[in-house]
Amino acid sequence: MATKTIKVPKMVNGAPTAEVEEIQVEDYGNQSWGPKDKHRLINTKIPRVDAPYKTTGTAQYTHDVRVPGMLHGRLVTSPYAHAKVTSIDTDKAMKIDGVKKILAIIEPGGEIYHEGQPVVAVAATTPEIAEDVARAVVVKYEVLPHVITAEDAMKPGVQPLIPARGRGGGRGGNSQGTAEQVDAALKNCDAVVEVEYRTPILHHCCLETHSCVSDFRGEQSATVYVSTQGTFTIPAEAARELGVPVTGVVQHMGGGFGSKLAGIGIAGQWATRLSKQTNTPVKLVLTRREEFLTSGNGPGSVQKFKAGASKDGVLVALNATQYSMPGIGNGNIAAQPYQYKAQNVYRQAITLATHEDGAVPMRAPGHPQACFAMESLMDELAYKIGMDPVEFRKKNVTDVAWHRQLDTGAKAIGWDKRNLTPGAAKGPLVRGMGCAIGAWGGGGGAGSQVDITIGQDGSVSVAVGSQDIGTGTRTYVRAIVAEELGLEMTDVQEKIGNSMYGNSSGSGGSRTTASLAPALKDAAYNARVALSKIVAPLIGADPDAVWFDNRYIMGNGKAISWKQSCAALPTAGLAARGAFQAPLAGQGAHGASFAEVEVDIETGHVRVTKMCHVQDGGLIMNRLAVESQINGGMIQSIGMALYEGRVMDAELGVMINPAFNDYKLPGAMEIPELIPIIDDGDTRDVVIGIAEPGNIPGCGAIANAVYNACGVRVRETPITPDKILNGLMQMRRVNA
Amino acid sequence: MAGNSRDPKSGLSRRSVLKGVGVAAVAGETLLSRMAKAADAIPGPDGTSLDQPMSGPVKITLNINGKDQQVTVEPRTTLLSALRDRLEPALTGPKLVCNAGTCGACTMILNGKNVYGCSVLAIDAVGKKITTVEGLGTPDHMSPVQAAFMEKDGMMCGMCTSGFVTSVSAFLKTNPNPTLDELKQGLKGNFCRCGTYPRIFEAALSAAKAQSNVT
Repeated sequence: MATKTIKVPKMVNGAPTAEVEEIQVEDYGNQSWGPKDKHRLINTKIPRVDAPYKTTGTAQYTHDVRVPGMLHGRLVTSPYAHAKVTSIDTDKAMKIDGVKKILAIIEPGGEIYHEGQPVVAVAATTPEIAEDVARAVVVKYEVLPHVITAEDAMKPGVQPLIPARGRGGGRGGNSQGTAEQVDAALKNCDAVVEVEYRTPILHHCCLETHSCVSDFRGEQSATVYVSTQGTFTIPAEAARELGVPVTGVVQHMGGGFGSKLAGIGIAGQWATRLSKQTNTPVKLVLTRREEFLTSGNGPGSVQKFKAGASKDGVLVALNATQYSMPGIGNGNIAAQPYQYKAQNVYRQAITLATHEDGAVPMRAPGHPQACFAMESLMDELAYKIGMDPVEFRKKNVTDVAWHRQLDTGAKAIGWDKRNLTPGAAKGPLVRGMGCAIGAWGGGGGAGSQVDITIGQDGSVSVAVGSQDIGTGTRTYVRAIVAEELGLEMTDVQEKIGNSMYGNSSGSGGSRTTASLAPALKDAAYNARVALSKIVAPLIGADPDAVWFDNRYIMGNGKAISWKQSCAALPTAGLAARGAFQAPLAGQGAHGASFAEVEVDIETGHVRVTKMCHVQDGGLIMNRLAVESQINGGMIQSIGMALYEGRVMDAELGVMINPAFNDYKLPGAMEIPELIPIIDDGDTRDVVIGIAEPGNIPGCGAIANAVYNACGVRVRETPITPDKILNGLMQMRRVNA
Repeated sequence: MAGNSRDPKSGLSRRSVLKGVGVAAVAGETLLSRMAKAADAIPGPDGTSLDQPMSGPVKITLNINGKDQQVTVEPRTTLLSALRDRLEPALTGPKLVCNAGTCGACTMILNGKNVYGCSVLAIDAVGKKITTVEGLGTPDHMSPVQAAFMEKDGMMCGMCTSGFVTSVSAFLKTNPNPTLDELKQGLKGNFCRCGTYPRIFEAALSAAKAQSNVT
């Protein structure tokens, strides 16, 4: 950082006057963002720059791409959870007018490991004909025994029979400490609980299903459009199928939540192969049913605990067995005791494979499941020792961020007015409150390359290949550059979502912003320095003593407008490049959720009436977008707590609810008063990333609020009316 | 366009379609009678009148955002697919998300009434006024509802946005000054997965207020 004294003309109504004044400015260079509260654009509320396109239906998604002569792809999928393909008869299908290609994905003799697994891919001239063709393909199967439930999956000898076909990561468990140590410690605890929590497999439900348009015409290059969280996965993965250089495009993206981190995915793989074999562009869009059955999911969990606390509120001992249920994939549940400290811990992590589609990352992988269980457990212990659940939590986390956030959240929800005796209220409508805290890493990494071009006409374009999956990337791309160059949002144009532009990372782990923003700042800083060298002589100033503000470059008591400055550039304009700068990014996000619910003890229906989430995230790029994302996190956690979950028919091995009619998402009627709070007590002036954490503690907070309201502890999500009514019935039996 | 490449002679025969829909003909207004209505309005692809059941590609005229446009569809083609997959140039504001009349991402206005484009046959829309989100405003001239969505950040990924903007626009015509609860009722046919509901509510209420100030 350098403090500079610069002579500038006094500005009146945005224009320079003859009067000269000296100003002191801080130049933070490219190694610091400067203080959080001193920004002109970033860390303010900025409307999305792509809003005019999204609100008028003119933003183009992969689903919307239509290129001349394009064929439509379609999949034939397995109706069985576990089977062998015995024959594929395409005779009838090949006779349909308009069929162009039928490809076996699983050859006869090959094995199927879950319902919905793609078996055949077809391409035809229209979507309707492609559907006809897919229906006319006759696949015969030899049905094999399947494993669906946790109980069956735990039986000896079962697990080795289900091969791991999932994406990423290894399997197996780990543990720390010994069970004996924990058992001994539990004997000295004032309160001990032994409980089991369960969460079902969850679905991302991106509104844009996995999709691809492979624009290949038998020529020497191709353009491939994919709805993916990683633009730069497209060129290599698509080229593997097409055998020619590929440009990848992700112009707009209709949600990912982790499910689109697997490169070009099934849709991409089969669209490109169909198009290679037909020398014709092919579009393949997964149907909603296929999206549920074969595009990945968030793992289910079974978590068994024995835990004890002392009456002064210390978590003394925890024995946790965490089963993750990722189908044929992989997916760990975050290690207990999650964000808390316990004096004695023994943990086992076990993967239970089933004949279901493999898990993939889903918004905060493994965290909402771990948090729901741990936060329910903490709540049970707090009530058992008779301590305020907020105070009990504070006693067992060291980081002051959570202490601050718990206080902020408690105030926002009105914690002091909560029900003090769960289950005592008469009803039929009873209210209660609960809280929970969550943690996420975030942080950035090297690899982004940002290119800025300033034209002679004053235009500024910023190119970086990164996709915007809906978080608002486009908007902060502009904001960072505009702020650094003393311009307004409308003066900068961004070019993103294309592998022709500079490299950037996939959108995963809440790391996009923390990886990309520093490179943007660096590029903009480099552009400013380069432009200073050209413009400063025009006003007789030292290049180190000019300042960019109000669309002017100022120094030596003079000001030259942005347009005039750029006119001095060579015909080709000015190019500047930026890369990741580690000091501009940080990591470690903390959050706290509070929920107020209303339980109808006659019907068992639960309604969230009010919710707040407090989230830190270092330097915020766009407060409007971040608040929206915190809202979104709360709403997804309402879904997990009350409505969502894969329902399986264990006998048939099939999913009962692979549609929005039956897999219930929160809708307009389920939205309570939501209070998103950005934790400005966080003094870190670095970019961290907050996409995931808003989704973590809400489910636990709601479950705890349900207990506080009606006295029923529901240990399996979603908290449906039957579980409440069963709980109330058991309470009456105990009391009778 | 792909539909043109299909030889109408080798597809399903008109007779087989007739037999196929015969069962459904028992209940109320049938596909058959609706096809007949569409046929009355539009001459067939070969210049003959479509006064009998159709199969294979059929050329129809749709009135979309105030403009008559010809498009070749199959009788089973949905209005949504006609606009997205067959119309030249395509109209892709209404999104294909559930294809089952659940999520509202394909919401359009048909003769002043909100419909799910995935649940209306294209031939059923012949002779009716179709308004899509593109017809409500443009990036340079956003409607008050669209501008309010921008101001209040009523979108994230944007995949539901077209449907919500259309639903809100049609809803405010029937109830120009709604309460929050009435608004929620009016929007319960639309899903958002990113969780932008609170901002959509704010946008709709702010647009309603702006409109009532004008009138």
